[in-house]
This record gives sequence, C-alpha cells and structure tokens, in this order.
Amino acid sequence: MQAGMERTTGEKMVLNFGPQHPATHGTLRIVLELDGETVLKATPHAGYLHTGFEKLGEHLDYNQYIVVTDRMNYLSPLSNNFGYVLAVEQLLGIEVPKRCQYIRILMAELSRLADHLLWLGTAALDLGAFSVFLYSFREREKLYSIFEKTTGARLTTSYTRVGGVFRDLYDGFETDVRDFITNLPKALKETHTLLTRNRIWMDRTKGVGAISPEEAINYGLTGPCLRATGVSHDIRKAEPYSSYNEMKFEVPVGTNGDVYDRYLVRMEEMIQSCRIVEQALDNLPDGPFSVEDNKIMLPHKSDAYGHIEGLIHHFKIVMDGHGVQPPLGDHYCATESPNGELGFYIVSDGSGTAYRIRIRPPSFFHFQALPHMLEGGMVSDTVAVLGSLNVIAGELDR
Amino acid sequence: MGLDFGHRAEPTDGNILTTTIDKVVNWGRRNSLWPMPFGTACCAIEMMATLASKYDLSRFGSEAIRFSPRQSDLLIVSGRISIKMMPVLKRIYDQMPDPKWVISMGACASCGGVFDTYTLIQGVDQFLPVDVYIPGCPPRPEDLIDAVMQVQRQIDKGALPKGSEVA
Amino acid sequence: MNEEKELTEETQPLVLKRLREKFPDALLADAEVSNGISIVVNKENSYAFLEYLKTELAYTLLVDITAVDNSNLESELLQYDYARFMVVYQLYTFEGETQRIRVKVPVHEKDLKVPSVTSLWKGANWLERETYDMFGIDFEGHPDLCRILMPDDFEGHPLRKDYPLRGRGERERFNFDKQNA
Ligand code: SF4
Repeated sequence: MQAGMERTTGEKMVLNFGPQHPATHGTLRIVLELDGETVLKATPHAGYLHTGFEKLGEHLDYNQYIVVTDRMNYLSPLSNNFGYVLAVEQLLGIEVPKRCQYIRILMAELSRLADHLLWLGTAALDLGAFSVFLYSFREREKLYSIFEKTTGARLTTSYTRVGGVFRDLYDGFETDVRDFITNLPKALKETHTLLTRNRIWMDRTKGVGAISPEEAINYGLTGPCLRATGVSHDIRKAEPYSSYNEMKFEVPVGTNGDVYDRYLVRMEEMIQSCRIVEQALDNLPDGPFSVEDNKIMLPHKSDAYGHIEGLIHHFKIVMDGHGVQPPLGDHYCATESPNGELGFYIVSDGSGTAYRIRIRPPSFFHFQALPHMLEGGMVSDTVAVLGSLNVIAGELDR
Repeated sequence: MGLDFGHRAEPTDGNILTTTIDKVVNWGRRNSLWPMPFGTACCAIEMMATLASKYDLSRFGSEAIRFSPRQSDLLIVSGRISIKMMPVLKRIYDQMPDPKWVISMGACASCGGVFDTYTLIQGVDQFLPVDVYIPGCPPRPEDLIDAVMQVQRQIDKGALPKGSEVA
Repeated sequence: MNEEKELTEETQPLVLKRLREKFPDALLADAEVSNGISIVVNKENSYAFLEYLKTELAYTLLVDITAVDNSNLESELLQYDYARFMVVYQLYTFEGETQRIRVKVPVHEKDLKVPSVTSLWKGANWLERETYDMFGIDFEGHPDLCRILMPDDFEGHPLRKDYPLRGRGERERFNFDKQNA
C-alpha cells in the first residue's frame, strides 16, 4: 500500500491469525482488531501446545526430567539441559569439575548459535527472504552434525546429567568446531550483505514494533529483546554461573528496541558466541568430565558390567529412592538462554522426585508484550514483529 | 521420458501411449504431493530441516508447501497435539479436499510420546485416519522423506487413503 | 542453596534490614539463599510489600509468579498454619548487592484470594492468569482473570496435587460439533 493513502475506514474488522499459520512458527494465535490496515487491538492466545511439563516434573526423577527439558525449547535444547541441571546441582550444593563446566559452556554457546541461526532463517523467511533461510540452514546443519557426534542426537540432545555430562567430547570435536566458527562469520557476512542495508528489509523492520526500555522491563522482557532496547543486561555477566566469569565477551545492545535492532543484536551475539567458543576451546581443561561421586553420576558402563561395586552404584542410582536426592528446600536458578532468562524453580521434599518444578520461560513474557508492539501499527508488521521475538511455542506453553 | 505406467502401457507405433486414466491421474498425484505441514513442536523443526538446503524435499515433488488446507492433499502432523489444538487439527483435516493422505510424524503425534499427561492427545489416530506413521523423537529428515515415498508407493498401487475408506 | 543461615544484625543484607524495619509484623520468615533472599509475607501486606520493593528498593523486574501446592509437604503446612498454597514471586534488581528476592505468600484453601500486582507490573497479567489456571487461585483486581493454557471449558486445576497426571479423561473425549476452533 502506498504511503499517505487513506488507510482507515472507520469500520472494525476482526482477523484471526493462527494458531495454524506459517508465520506463527507453530501454534501461536493472535486475534487482531483492524481498522483498515491499522491494528487497533491485538490479543495473543497461548496454550495450544500445553504439554504439562511442570506436572510431569513431579513424577519423573531428577535425571529423567532432562529429557523433557530438550523438548521445551527445541531450538536450543542444550541450553535448557544446562539450565536445568545447574538448578538441581545448586540445590544439591555440588559443583562440577572445570572440564565439565567448559564443555557445557561450549555446548550452550553452540546451541545459542543454532537458535539464532534458525531464528534468522525463519524471521527472514516470514518477510519473504527465502535465500536467507537456506543459507542459515546450511550452517545449522553443520551444527546438527556436531551435536549428533557429541550427544547422539541432532535435536533432542539430553546431553547433561546432574553432576556432569553423559560422555566426553569426541576426538576431532575441536577441529570440527574450529572449522565451524571460522566459517560462520563469513556466512553471516553473506546475510549482512543480503539484509542489513537492504531497502526492503530496513523499511519493514526499522521503527517497527518498538518498545522503550522502561516498558520492556515492566513487561519482563529479557535476552536479546531487552538488550535491543538499550539495557545492557545479560545473566552471563550479571550473575556469572558455571565458568562464564572466565570468558571475555561483549554484550551487544541496541538503541530503539525495534525489529531491526533485535536483528542486529542477535547477529552480533552470534559473533560473541563464536568468541566464547574459541576461548573455551583454547583453555579447555583436562580432567574428569563429571563429578566423581558414585551417589550422583552413573558409573561407566564397563564398570557396571564388569565390577560388582559398579553394578551396585548403578543399581542404587536408578532405583527409586536411592538416586539423586536434594535436601528439603527450594531454589531458583536462572541462566541466559538464547531467548532470555530461563529459570528453574525447584522445590524438593527430600525424595528422588521434585516436589514442584516451575519453569520460567522467556517466550511467555515476549508473547505477552506483543500487543504493546503491534497496536497502532500496520497489519503487515505483525509478521515482522512476531518473527523478531522468536516466541517458541514449546517453551511458551510448556 | 522415464514414464512408467505399468504393464498396461503399450507404446504403439510412434508416439501414442495407451494407459488407463487412473494410472495417469495417480502418476500425477504421486509426483506432486502438496503437503500441508501441521507442525507444532520439535518435530516441526526437523520438518523444516527436511525442506531446507541439505535434505531438500523438493527432489520428491513435495516442495510446494501450502499452508492452506484447501490446496493440499498431504497432511503432515508433526509435533504434540494438545486437547486445545485437536479441534483445530480436525477442522484443518476436514477442510482438505479428497483424496487426502495423513502422515503422523514422531512419537508424540503417533502415540503421545514421552508425554503421558492430562493435556496431550495420545495419538492423533484416535481422531484422524493416519496413513503413514513415522517413529522417532524426532524422526530424522530421512525418515520423513521415506514416509513421503511410502505415500507415493501407496498411490502408485492405486490404494485409496485411509480417510476415504472411513467416509 | 539450602543452608539457610540464621541472620544476625550484622550479617543481614541491607535490603532485609530495611524490610524488617518497614514491615515488622508482615514478615513471617526470612532467610538468605545463595543468590539473594527468600521472604515469607502474610497475605494482608503482600501488595504493599511488593510495591515497596518495586518503588523504593528498585526491584523493577518481575521475574516470575507461580504457586506451590503444599498439601503433601508436611513441614510447610505445619509452619504456616495449614495454608495449602504458597504463591511465589521472584523479583530482580539491576542495582545493588542482593539481586534476587523471592517473596512467598501463604494462601488458605478456604480463602483463595491474593491481591493482584498487575497495577505494578504489566508482565504480571499472564503470570497471574496461569497461576489461576493451574491452581485456581484468585487474584483480586486482575483485569481479566481467565484460563490461559487450558481450554476455556476445562474443569479442574491441573497442577494441584489432587489432580491426576493423566487427567480425568479430558484427552479422550471431544465434541467436535460443539467446539469451534
Ligand atoms: S516426537 Fe519428540 S521431537 Fe517430535 S514433537 Fe514429540 S517430543 Fe518433540
């Protein structure tokens, strides 16, 4: 539609957007009230992918639940695995060996890259840039194969365990990852050439869906969406967990809090993640990859099959009521997932199963703030704004 | 030309090819399945990977992704279906024109997967006729390609989709 | 972490000191935890308490609102006069030493009402709706308290301890004619 043309008609129209719409990336639904092309009111609806994760947490033991965390944010399962076991470990009061911390950081940062790449592809696809989707999937496939070699699965990794990770990195991990992170900036450059100064891209994203820093905090936004407004807040810096205090990296921030800034912030975050990965590889310590406590980690398979002690330890951990049992109490632990603050609030009653697991998903807050970013804008911006928030239905609805 | 219309096709002298109308129609159908991807959760990401650069579903004639049920003849249910979503899925299925095939991708769509909870449908086949199930959590892109090929084989045989038998 | 230290005059964080002075009767319990402090406040003062935290002590980011059904947790029940539910708020500040505060409010089953904090944080809106949906706790003053994750016609509150994991047969019955998408 041409600029300056009369867009309002004075008549209201209600448009139902989703829950099955290509641009909703799954199962989001928004009901838009329109006047011509202007959005008067937007009402997001959630819950179409509600799976009962929190209830399930009260019925699975601490290690079994790791499997469930994969499936919550399927763009970056490794970050979820990490955040969850960290919460349990803090509840138990144990610290994992340095090598394990580094491995986890490596994997978390790689999964941040995977998340941002997929986000980039789909957000650009929503605005009609199909080649970016193909480019970013090309890179993501490389990550998939690294994940697969390390964890055995492309997507549902379940790599961490309470007290460590389930196996060490494979031989040749370093070469594969170094290869990847040297090539990624080049690939991102391609995207920059395609999008960053592209007229259409800028027209459709600049000044669209803006939110002020105060409003963003009021709505509880975190992660790239908060940083795009200019608030330099990153849990990796503010409350360094694991070994993040040993890593050097910048926290990119935007200025306007619009779609364009969110795009730039995420692009820069990928570069910073590459830096972290590089440092972690350079300084990767030797030593055990999980705690050497037979009450927490499963023994090695050869031990379980070959020695009676190993078998007993194995048996005790997998038997109900003998495995990981945090003391009575509760704990909240937050990590910086690719989307923002991912928190696990765990209440333990002293048994092998959590009494209550509450997940604080970043997407929940982003989706809630959507009306604020849409109202008064054009209906076509809906797709751009929604794409920029990277709302993941699995995490939103749990 | 690589056309194969089965044993009944007899090229007579020159450029005429005799066959049955069914064979031609089925040949057309099998090579241009238009999927309606009903992707809700993690499996949808693998479905995307199948469509993207490396696996490229278009090699099998199924690249014309239609997000409108009225234009597609293959419903790929990939992901968890909650009780809030099931009526939507049913409605989408009902809107698709006949003949229509259904692929149930992944453990969740086929049987509820690891989520035996109050809100999750334990298998969409309770409510929809499913033609091909894909095991896995998530199934690899190769598995999805295989499922599409299975649908193609069924069409080749002239078999009707499950849905039309029920109706 | 669990080792909740008894706090003496000298070791207590500044924030806690101010809170103790300001709300001498409202605090039912407090403790220092590994990444902040955890406080139990009575329901009558919860709104004023949270408002004070936000406006005076700069806890501007509302991280989370949720609840815990304590009906199988003997120790908590005994401590808080058999209050079945505990509404839990997590707050975060961008300034200061004590970054995280956890505020817990015990709620009795016969009076399932808690003042809504939507007027303080816009982000509280959906969180309260979710807590209502999952536990049936009523947030007084909420602009539109309705279900968010479960369908509107759903009965029961799934995260209560007396609700079975596999539901009460909701997932097997559908009336497709009646429901519209
Ligand atoms: S089958 Fe597995 S990967 Fe697929 S939707 Fe279910 S949990 Fe996700």
